[in-house]
Formats: sequence, C-alpha cells, structure tokens
Amino acid sequence: MAPRDFPEIDPEARLADLLERAARHFPSRGVAVFDGRGRRRERRTYPEVLAAARRASGRWSALGVRPGDRVLIGLPTSWSWLDAWLGAVLLGALPVAVAPGAAMGAARAQLKKVDGLVERLGVRFALVGDAFRGEAEAAGLRRASEAALGVGELEGTTPDPLKGASEQRTRSASEDVAFLQLTSGSTGVPRAVMISHRAALHNAWANDRAIGVPHGAPTHRWADSMVSWLPLHHDMGLVGCLFLSIYAGLDLWLFQGTTFLARPRLWLEHLGRHGTAFAPAPNFGYQLCLERLTEKDREGLDLSSWHDAMTGAEMIRPETVAGFCETFAPCGFRPEAFRPCFGLAEGTLAVTFDGKGRGMRTLPMPESAGEGQALGEVVCVGEAIDDTVVRVCGPDGRPLPDGEIGEVRVQGPSVFLGYWNDPGATAEGLQDGWLCTGDLGFLHRGELYLTGRLKDILILRGHNLMPHEIEWQAEAVTGGGGGLRSGAFSVARGTAGEEAVLVVETTAKDPGVLASMAGDIRNRVGRTLSILLSDIVFVRRGRIPKTTSGKVQRRQLRDQYLSGSLDALARFEPPST
Amino acid sequence: MNDKQKTGLDVVAGISGRPATELTPELNLLGDLGIDSPKALNLLLQLEEALGIEISDEDAAKMDTVGDILDYLGALA
Repeated sequence: MAPRDFPEIDPEARLADLLERAARHFPSRGVAVFDGRGRRRERRTYPEVLAAARRASGRWSALGVRPGDRVLIGLPTSWSWLDAWLGAVLLGALPVAVAPGAAMGAARAQLKKVDGLVERLGVRFALVGDAFRGEAEAAGLRRASEAALGVGELEGTTPDPLKGASEQRTRSASEDVAFLQLTSGSTGVPRAVMISHRAALHNAWANDRAIGVPHGAPTHRWADSMVSWLPLHHDMGLVGCLFLSIYAGLDLWLFQGTTFLARPRLWLEHLGRHGTAFAPAPNFGYQLCLERLTEKDREGLDLSSWHDAMTGAEMIRPETVAGFCETFAPCGFRPEAFRPCFGLAEGTLAVTFDGKGRGMRTLPMPESAGEGQALGEVVCVGEAIDDTVVRVCGPDGRPLPDGEIGEVRVQGPSVFLGYWNDPGATAEGLQDGWLCTGDLGFLHRGELYLTGRLKDILILRGHNLMPHEIEWQAEAVTGGGGGLRSGAFSVARGTAGEEAVLVVETTAKDPGVLASMAGDIRNRVGRTLSILLSDIVFVRRGRIPKTTSGKVQRRQLRDQYLSGSLDALARFEPPST
Repeated sequence: MNDKQKTGLDVVAGISGRPATELTPELNLLGDLGIDSPKALNLLLQLEEALGIEISDEDAAKMDTVGDILDYLGALA
C-alpha cells in the first residue's frame, strides 16, 4: 500500500493520545479478536476501539475507580480484556494484567496469585471470569473474593458521562505511571514494573523505527498487519503487538495463547492473508510450528508476505531458527525475515533489534565463558534501539571490553520507573539510572550477544517461574523443606526448549512409594502451577548441594544432573504422551 | 456408558496416547495423562467436533479428571 502520512507523536503525549491518534489517522484499520477456539472473530476499527474504551472508562469511573487506582485484569485475550485495560488507561487508573485461569482444572492456580496481588498492590477491583468469586470464597481467599469483579458486572454497569479531555490531560502527565507490568522477582512473588506514558510511547516509536531499519523506512510506511497469539499480560504481546499496532496503524489479528498452542497452523495461515505482515514470538513458538505441522499441514500455506519474524523473550536456539527456515522455505518463508531481538518488562519491552536484515547471525561462545555453558554458538540480538545505550558490566559494575561476558545493563527513555511499592527491589534493578537486566551476554562491534541468565529464573514457554515455586509444591507432598530439601531448574532438552527438572531428597527407598510420590508431586505441580514437570529425581538426604546457610545451590545441582554425577535413587519421566 | 461417553473416551485416548481400556475415571488429565492446557484445548475442540456440541469455558474449567469428562458427557441429553 502507499506510504501513509504519519505525524510524529508529541513527546508530552500519553497512551490515551496514541489511541485517539490511531482513530483519527487510521480510521479503517483496526483490531480483530478471535474466540478461544479460534473459529469466530470480532473486528473493530480504531474509532470503534476508542469508543468502546471510552465507555469502559466511564464504567470504571461509575464503579468508583479513580486515577491512580490499581485494577487487575485476569482474562484471556478478548474484547473484554482490551476494553477494560484501555478504559482504565483513559481514566488514568493503572491496569495490571495477570495470566487468566487456564481451561480444565488449572483455573484454581489463578486464585492464590490474585489474592496475593490484591493485597500487595492494593488492588481496587480484579476483573475475572464470572465464576471466580464463588471459587475464591470456597477456597477461603477473602481478599480475592472481595476484589473480584465479574466481566458481566463491569459490562452491565452504566458508564459515567465522559469528562473533558483537557481535564484528563492535566491529571496525567507523560512522566506518570501508565500501567503496571507483572514479572517474576527473585523473591518468587511477582513484582509490578511501573511503566510511564513516556516510556510506553518511546518504546512503540522505537520499535516502529528499529523493525524498519532493514527496509529503509519505519514499519508504518510499509507494513499492513500484525498477527499475534502472545498473551496481552505478556510484555511482548502488550507492547510489541498491541502498542506497536496502535502506534503504526496496523491491522492487528489477535488469537488467544492456548488457541495457538493447540492449533499453531492458524497463526501461520493468517500471516499469509492480511498483506505485508509481521509477527513476533518467543523461540518456542517457532519450535512448536516445526514440531506440530505435518507436511500436509504446510500445504497451502503462503508465508511470502511475512516480512519480519521477530524472535525474543527467551534464549534463541540456532537449531530452531535454522529448522524453521528450511522447513517453511517451500511456503515462501525467507530466512532473512528472522529478526532476533532482546527485551524485558523493565525496559518496557524492546532493548535491541537485529537491524542487518540478514536473518540470524551467531558467533562462537567466547573462551572466557567458563563452565556450565552448554551453548556452542551465541545468537546476535542486534543494536540498541534509538536513544538507548546497552553496556555489559562485570560484577563491580564497570563496563567490560568487547567479547567479555557480563551482565547486560540498559539506559534510555524506555527504562522503567521502578517496582511498585518495593524500594529494595528497585534499588537492585536500577543502579545510577542503569537497568540491571540479570541477563548475561557480550558485545561485539556494537551488537549484543546473549549467553544466559544471571538468576535462576526458569523460563518455560516464555513464562517466568521461580524454582522455589515448584520446590514448595513438592515439599508439600513429601513433607520436606527443612531437613529434606528439593531443587528445581530448567534444562534445554533437544529442540523442545526449556523443561523443568526437580530433584527431591528423601528417606524412602521402596520403589512403589517413590513412584507414587512422584505421581503426587507431578499432579500437585501441574494443578497449582499449570506446568508439566519433566524429570523428577530422588536422592538421599543431604545429597543436594547447599550453601553454608542452607540455601539450595541450584546451579551446581543442575551441573551435577547434566554431567550425570547426581547420585539418583530413582528417576521418573513424565507419562509418555 | 453411553455412545457420547465412548466417543469421549476415544478422544481422550487419542490425545493422551493411552488405550481407552486403560482410562479409569480417577486419572488426572494433566498429572496422569500429560494433557497440558494446549492439549486440553485440542481435547475440547475434538470433543466438540466429534459430538457436534459446544462446551462452555466454565464447564471446561471444571474438568480435572477422566471421570469429570464422562460425567459431563453423560449428563448431555
């Protein structure tokens, strides 16, 4: 299509202005949201999106929500989600998106999480499925049940009349917090990242420019659409898909995450249907397409209009990228469409993008990497986005020369304001204006190469989980946690991405007892955390490495597991599927 | 067991890779059969397609075990 007229956005603008601008400048473009089964969709143009968000804003107001109040949104991708989130932003309230309760038995995992968040963030309302309140009451979670607001209740509320735009503007300066983004902290309770209006707009603007680098023009000049299944409570879904689409006036096609996981072909089908398209996904999304689509599934797919396939949000596996390129080449997919990138919630989202437009590039792991590094080649995630500086620092905080591995630190307008109500964590994550990412990597000729994670966070299918979330569930089954410990970590298994492994100390010896314990642990972890544990390994008391203060040394445990030096009593793999 | 329940059991067998004869009501879909949320959605889609029904998200959220699915299908007219 012809390049669009595209006024630069006012640096003093707020997120609400972005939506108003989309409605004004791209009136025929809009967002289509699919139902959970991926069968039906409802499309709204940007003027309609804005009108619905204004009504939702009036509803929040009628319920007594005021600027600065926190409202939790725990729904799957839907118009209810979008209206509520955007409506809260228009009002100046702070939306906080949390993973929805999953289908089939995992709905309860959401209850406790919401209960804790209501307390820690002082949440006014938690917008959830209509069954949530009853379930929270039955589980004795008073805070969650009191804050619960069913979708039907919000949408049945008569909206307050709209306040004048000028009044809203004075209330909400670009420096103010626009929304909170949840991320796993080292304490296991999720932290709420404070993102200002300015950071959100800067990141959308910088994304638009960075993605456009190999094309010689910002994204909005040539792209027509974005197709995404990334959950909107995920920073890549919220910022990388929703904000960027609104900023650049793209047609956005939104699927629920589980719909993609169940039927990955739908994503690829739609990438071939809506003009010049692009789409981001974590590595596992590409891997899933590789594993699940048969030759017959690939017939009739046309990926030639998929200009940019961003990959980020977890470690990028060179095998996945190479495999995807080869397998989908007959469908018209071009290897140079792959665009490795790096980002994190504390950076609003994007920090670096590969701007060369030559597909994935790698370097060998530097010799200084030392033990515990299984990677042979390291993927280049590109240069910092505009106005942004990336450094790699040693433990003393000093910048390291090219090729030396250290912690990645970031400075720029997209960097977060801090963690909500958590000065300790903020002081750790933001030092002298630099965001300390906890990710490890090295620089080479101005480009960043990621090698691993500083902390022990498990990243499973793009979602963060702390090891002790798993360990505590296991210890609830075995009665351990004191004298008998357990340790969880993730390992890269073949090309399937990261999988969770759990090592448990026990005094039991009988194989039958151990087998039944393994089954109970797997069930409990599955129900409460919605993950399927890979291996469960039993060892004798005292065999898990610990510090002198008794902290489990998970990295050493993982090394022992991988090298086979772990003295296992018994090992249980998941039921074959 | 009625026809709908038999079909349902076949669908669970197909998704889990276990023979239908081994599927007892107390088996947990996720913990015992490895049916995580994407597989669960596939299970729902296949149940809906095989039986020409539509299962609400609320009903689906209550299905923890093989028995829960059989009870649901058994209660259908």
